[in-house]
Amino acid sequence: MENPIYIALSRQDALRRQMDVVANNLANMMTPAYKNQRMMFLEYLAKPAATPVEKVSMVQDYGVLRNTAVGPISSTGNPLDVALQGDGYLTVETRDGQRFTRNGRLQLDLDRQIVDTNGLPVLNEQDLPMTVPQNSGPITITADGTVSSDQGQIGRIKLVRFEREQFMTELGGGIFTTDEPPLPAPGTKVVQGAVEESNVQSVVEMTQMIEISRQYAVNQKMIEAEHERQRNAITKLSRLS
Amino acid sequence: MRSLSIGTTGMLAQQLNVETISNNIANMTTTGFKRQRAEFQDLLYQNQRRVGSTSSDAGTIVPSGVQIGAGVKAAAVYRINEQGNLQVTDNALDLAVNGQGYFQITLPDGDTAYTRAGSFQINAEGTVVTADGYTVQPGIVVPADAVDITVNGSGEVQVKLDGQIQPQVVGQIQLAVFPNEAGLEAIGSNLLLATPASGDAVPGNPSAPGYGRLVQGALETSNVNIVAEITNLITAQRAYEMNSKVISTTDQMMNTTSQLR
Repeated sequence: MENPIYIALSRQDALRRQMDVVANNLANMMTPAYKNQRMMFLEYLAKPAATPVEKVSMVQDYGVLRNTAVGPISSTGNPLDVALQGDGYLTVETRDGQRFTRNGRLQLDLDRQIVDTNGLPVLNEQDLPMTVPQNSGPITITADGTVSSDQGQIGRIKLVRFEREQFMTELGGGIFTTDEPPLPAPGTKVVQGAVEESNVQSVVEMTQMIEISRQYAVNQKMIEAEHERQRNAITKLSRLS
Repeated sequence: MRSLSIGTTGMLAQQLNVETISNNIANMTTTGFKRQRAEFQDLLYQNQRRVGSTSSDAGTIVPSGVQIGAGVKAAAVYRINEQGNLQVTDNALDLAVNGQGYFQITLPDGDTAYTRAGSFQINAEGTVVTADGYTVQPGIVVPADAVDITVNGSGEVQVKLDGQIQPQVVGQIQLAVFPNEAGLEAIGSNLLLATPASGDAVPGNPSAPGYGRLVQGALETSNVNIVAEITNLITAQRAYEMNSKVISTTDQMMNTTSQLR
């Protein structure tokens, strides 16, 4: 008898998590290379114990879909900033192995290695960190990812792409991990002195938020109506007896 | 609800953004000032349903999982080292760098600082110093009877002494370039310090390949683009508002819940 309440509850539970995803999109409106996310929903058939024959259709949040569209590229004038045009990723070295990022805000660390904003070394095509030699002048990075200074070539940035980009997991700080094998990304162009901005469209997120809020309230109404119906039933049935 | 704290991180980030923009606007007319930009990073993610986990006995797998982020954090506030405009002042000791490179300044404690603000003066001993009285390297002394000072494009300082026809070379100003200019640390008063992130200074003569040309009688204005700053300010304000909307919407949803009978 309580099934309608549980159905509405499953929707409300999912809506709360959807709100978290929208909130995260809006918070990261200005995070370089951030990809906006959407919650996907699925009908979930449950067979409650009280009704052995019929199945009840619930809602389940099934997955988060990442919009992998390239964000707008804005010029920064910093020689170590790179924006990627295309579906490639930069490869960085972590303690747990290679990880991938599109945030090209690069810098030099204590050992003069080229690192990302998290301080993780960016790898070249030989899977080695790139070190800028002492006393070298300004750095140039060409469209194919070749990094060089006035003292010659420093290395070529390893650019990779993935067959199934949606399978990548965010680790925070713009870093992704995946079990998929990395493939070479010859189609990806490196733009020096620019960064890729977040692809969040604030208007879309705002309308999403309104929708979530309203749907949440509608479900609440439904729970209340059901509650009322049950109370009425109990009152009327008890009067008859 | 998590979106409450996510909205908070968003508002905090935009506050930092507004602070950075206001500092740029405040330094709009500061000689040699380079505008800054706040940069953000997404926070860690929580897995509600792991990517690639099996969703049935038949071995079907979850294609994307439910990962919910925890918001945003400030990653860095970095300087944008674009060339500022050159403004003619006709003051013989006002020097502007047109291109790459920083003037090297000796601080009172002996360390070297770097600056793009070339509004120099001569102190009581005839040494070329900054507006704060710090010596401009390599410590050029202009004789008291000099009537004219010329600094050419490659940094050579020549003076013409009273009664002489031939100018006399009294010094050579060198510029320093860095592998990563964005890594320099600002210490105020238009001065910057080298850091491990910037790399070591590479001194060289102005006008040499990779070095800017010196322009006498001009100053480099700040590279703050006021129209861009104001539009950034509007964007930041709107982003702040949107994040506060996230908080009020979350509040509404929680209110709905608390009204359950």
